[in-house]
Amino acid sequence: MSVIPITDVRWTKQSSSFTYGRIGVEPSLRTLAPKFTLLFTTLWQKIPEQSLSSSIEVEKLLESLQEHHVHLKNTNKIQEYLLQFPDLIDVVPHVVDAAARHFPDAQLVMDMYQDPEIEDRYLVVYVRLKRYDDSIVEKLERAEAEFLDELAYKEGWIQLTTDFQEPGEEDAL
Amino acid sequence: MGRKYYRNPPIIEAVCDFRPTQDTQWDLTVPGLFYERVKDAFPHREQRVVQEFELTQGMQVLQQQIRSSERVLMFSEDRKTLIQLGPRLVVINILKPYNTWEGFKKYIEKAWSSLQEVVEVRGLERIGLRYINRIEFTTQDVNLKEYFEFYPFIGKRLPQELAFFIAGAEFPYDGGRDRCRVQLSQGIGDEGKKAIILDLDYFLARSRGVEVSAALNWVEEAHTRVEEIFEGCITDKLRAMFEEVS
Repeated sequence: MSVIPITDVRWTKQSSSFTYGRIGVEPSLRTLAPKFTLLFTTLWQKIPEQSLSSSIEVEKLLESLQEHHVHLKNTNKIQEYLLQFPDLIDVVPHVVDAAARHFPDAQLVMDMYQDPEIEDRYLVVYVRLKRYDDSIVEKLERAEAEFLDELAYKEGWIQLTTDFQEPGEEDAL
Repeated sequence: MGRKYYRNPPIIEAVCDFRPTQDTQWDLTVPGLFYERVKDAFPHREQRVVQEFELTQGMQVLQQQIRSSERVLMFSEDRKTLIQLGPRLVVINILKPYNTWEGFKKYIEKAWSSLQEVVEVRGLERIGLRYINRIEFTTQDVNLKEYFEFYPFIGKRLPQELAFFIAGAEFPYDGGRDRCRVQLSQGIGDEGKKAIILDLDYFLARSRGVEVSAALNWVEEAHTRVEEIFEGCITDKLRAMFEEVS
């Protein structure tokens, strides 16, 4: 079955049992994993289940990022931030997708940045490479250009950058 | 059973939703009129486009439809409480820390009464009261049986180590008018820690099963039932982690 860009689907029938299914991912993540497996085995008439819960949306997003080998640090803080600024949920996949395409050999690490001197915090995605050269800044700017407009009217922020660290033991893309 | 209070409750989000029936008139003025009535408590307004996928099995064909709808989000000053308004949908979300039921109920009553001032709700397709709990353990190695009374049973001839799990059931109430969906699944934890999500969703399963005038009474009853179900899902060992307040 083809990949379908949805947030969540729940299947149910008129009885006391149900089958839960989650299908598809945000369109931007299709480039990272072209195949998805349906988790349910039986098709029933669907009762629309819109995404009402911010925390479930955030869990699903982080699950998806982990499945695509994005290393998450300070997961609780990331979740808390995304819950406060849920309109970033739609932007995060585009940031990761842009980073993965511009840096196909990089390890991506998501973390929370907290400025030590002022009240400022935001999500950050670090690109980690085995070797760094002068081209990294230009590449970061090109990747950033793909999603910067989406952040224009958002309350929260997500920054794509590098900390010049080497990829750790976590899987690299 | 008396209500239990915990010093360290696992609730990360509580959600209450009302879905008026299709014969409730709804137009583009509704969000603005609604916002005027709640903006004192919910001053920050944002918009999101939500994608909805519908797959219907007909006689011999599978039909799929993807729809986008706009949803207005109205946040409280601290952004811990929000109201979502979409076409024939109002949702009240409260994020951690969840203080008291009485506090949450006030927001539910405010949102519901504000909606009724703006539109004539002809019937209720669905009402839902959902509690999402996140329990984080300090290690990865957790025996679910020690902490939960609802968990997936794995027979001895199967691998005992799980990469991921999800277990769910729906329980009927009031002759099938209501249902409670209980779901236990693995969550995303910090490094070296296991997180478990216990999701309790009590909802009106029968369209128009409750009169519009009785909606808030239904919500109160739903809360009592969710509390009972929550207590039924956990063991005393987990209660000790939450630090019951006597």
